[in-house]
Amino acid sequence: MIPSITKCKRVLLIVCLFLFPLTSVVLAQENDDEYAALVESGKKVYEVRCLLCHGSKGDGNGPVGIIRRAERNGRVLEIVPRDLTMAVFRFRTTPTGCLADDQDILNIINNGVPRSFMPAHEKIPIQEREAVKEYIKTFSYRWEEEDPCEPIAVVKPEWVGSSKSVDKGKIIFKEMKCGECHGYEGKGDGPKSNDLKDDWGKQILPFNFSTGDLKRGSTPENVYITFTSGLDGTGMPSYEDSLNEEDRWHLVSFTLKLMGKLDKK
Amino acid sequence: MQSRFYLSLLLISSLVLIAFMGIAFNREMNPEWKKYQTEYKDFLVKNAKDASTRQRAERIQIGMQQIYIKSLERSDRCMSCHRGVENPLMAEAEQPHRQHSGNYLENHPIAKFGCTVCHRGQDRATNMREAHGEEHTHWDFPIIPSKYIQGSCAQCHDYEMLRQEGGEKVARGEELFRQKGCQGCHKIGGKGGDLGKDIAGIGSRPFAYFSMKHVVGDHNLYNWVKQHFDDPRAIVPESEMRVFLTDEEAELLTTYMMTFVTAEMPRNYTLIKNVIQPKIDGESLYKMYCIACHSDGRVSLYDEIFKRTIPAIRNPAFTRSIDDEHLRTIIKEGRKGTQMTAWKVSAAGLTDADINKIIMYITMNRPEKKPEPFGFLKYKADVRHGEELYNIRCEFCHGAEGKGGEGFLGINLRNPAVQKADPEFLAITVRDGREGTPMVSFGMKGLKLDNQDIADMVAYVKTLSQKK
Repeated sequence: MIPSITKCKRVLLIVCLFLFPLTSVVLAQENDDEYAALVESGKKVYEVRCLLCHGSKGDGNGPVGIIRRAERNGRVLEIVPRDLTMAVFRFRTTPTGCLADDQDILNIINNGVPRSFMPAHEKIPIQEREAVKEYIKTFSYRWEEEDPCEPIAVVKPEWVGSSKSVDKGKIIFKEMKCGECHGYEGKGDGPKSNDLKDDWGKQILPFNFSTGDLKRGSTPENVYITFTSGLDGTGMPSYEDSLNEEDRWHLVSFTLKLMGKLDKK
Repeated sequence: MQSRFYLSLLLISSLVLIAFMGIAFNREMNPEWKKYQTEYKDFLVKNAKDASTRQRAERIQIGMQQIYIKSLERSDRCMSCHRGVENPLMAEAEQPHRQHSGNYLENHPIAKFGCTVCHRGQDRATNMREAHGEEHTHWDFPIIPSKYIQGSCAQCHDYEMLRQEGGEKVARGEELFRQKGCQGCHKIGGKGGDLGKDIAGIGSRPFAYFSMKHVVGDHNLYNWVKQHFDDPRAIVPESEMRVFLTDEEAELLTTYMMTFVTAEMPRNYTLIKNVIQPKIDGESLYKMYCIACHSDGRVSLYDEIFKRTIPAIRNPAFTRSIDDEHLRTIIKEGRKGTQMTAWKVSAAGLTDADINKIIMYITMNRPEKKPEPFGFLKYKADVRHGEELYNIRCEFCHGAEGKGGEGFLGINLRNPAVQKADPEFLAITVRDGREGTPMVSFGMKGLKLDNQDIADMVAYVKTLSQKK
């Protein structure tokens, strides 16, 4: 009896060995189908809610076209919706040059972008938001070829916002020539501010610290991430390599001061 | 011991008192003007060409000079320092001795006009600081800087005459005032919008009326007005004023602001030569009342200050779909909840004739071809289906409650201009979209909704005003 069992086992083993690749193929097929269905449902949501601005190809060239004209010194700047086909996002938590984190995209969908007409979509079901996120990823090959990066760790030191830190930040602001674009008083009117262009060749304006909140939010952490990750696609570089962590936090203090965030406390 | 201490104290304090009295006496005996008059006299004596002029120069009495003008209630003592103001020999001299520039004094003899009626400043003061009213002397009307001085001319003269002779700056300021659309927000003589403050009498408003906290340099009316033109929010942080001026334009307008004074000049001082009113046609009316917000009316701009998009009212896509009657209602009644004020006679002083002219100008380029009629009444609209569609199609621009506003691309759908509008007009707008604005076409040309869906949406939009 014993040999027959072993024989049986052997047969079973062989069968299993043959079956294994087959099952994994079937399982993968199932996963693919699920993913395709998700993307398909994302497409439907996209076509109703996003296409108006971002266009059917995700190139930011939707029926609405130019969403905003801003006037500055008699010059009219035309601001168009984001082009999603290059997978370049400004508001990331990942280092510069990296793809955005899934959560980064969801954050923008959830909270919108103030002063840019990207509305908050918190009220629509989470499945729809997830689906749209996956559909957005089909616009660029980068999502298939590149590996995601680790988000930047943010640990806010105690002394951020102290007057000493603000003074140090002021010196760094001067040394790093932030004023060339943002203006020496932070009003967005530096000497270079008139000929700044983004990666798509569109004219852009540097942030004027006296106008209110940052698009990604004005908490110290958000400002720190902006300095560290840079705003890819715009003229705002990452200072991860050129300034050490402490200096970046000093700069955060000074920026908060410029925005008047320290006065209210 | 103690009595000696008090004695010395008394002695010292008496000495100090005497010293102070001496200084005061000395000052009183040698006022600033005495020095200048001596300088003036010495200059004349030194430069006299012959004996008789020297004799005349030597006879000049040094003393306080005053011109009293009863009808203007002024006693100007400016000549106490500026004695050479009428002397052609002093054309090249340094102040305070220099002759008055231009030929102004020929027609405005000092004996009749004095100085402060044009130059302002404190008439009775006897030293420069107080007479000019500068450097925080808190004199309400310090001496007008020469770049704004022409503002005084308009007290007596008309702009047509000023334009031709000697008052170019203030005349150009007046022109600019009409071209920049200041009256779109500011009332003057009961005419104008009500977003800004009434500017009547701004040129003679006391110092305390203005918040001087952020003014750079001397805290006075002129600096306030000029710097407010340069950057309104730097002076009044909560200001909503939209202004785009070059430095020169700001100076011209500041000059013009100085013409808004409350006091009227006596009849025998004024000289109105030409009473020709500037031609008021549709274009100039549009510039006076509309241009400050709508600019040329061709493109709609999102405005950072108003936090909303200002519609392009001369855009053909707009004028094609709106009829004159509808436009008239909007202009007359304004749009509640926006910066658009009501322009009817009782509110902003525009007569029906004026409004007609403006409408003519706005609709000048109205295309001949009317949009294809929608036939709203043919459809049996389903409000509930309309609501469903609204919530996925319209909500992200017009807001879930249809209120639009900050951060939204679309307009407020609850305002009377939409709620009282003909559903046919609304349906055509939804079907065809609005060129030059973010409103896209939802009909077959664009996002492919059929007419029934559009009718449902319009019907729902019409119910928005009844919601909480």
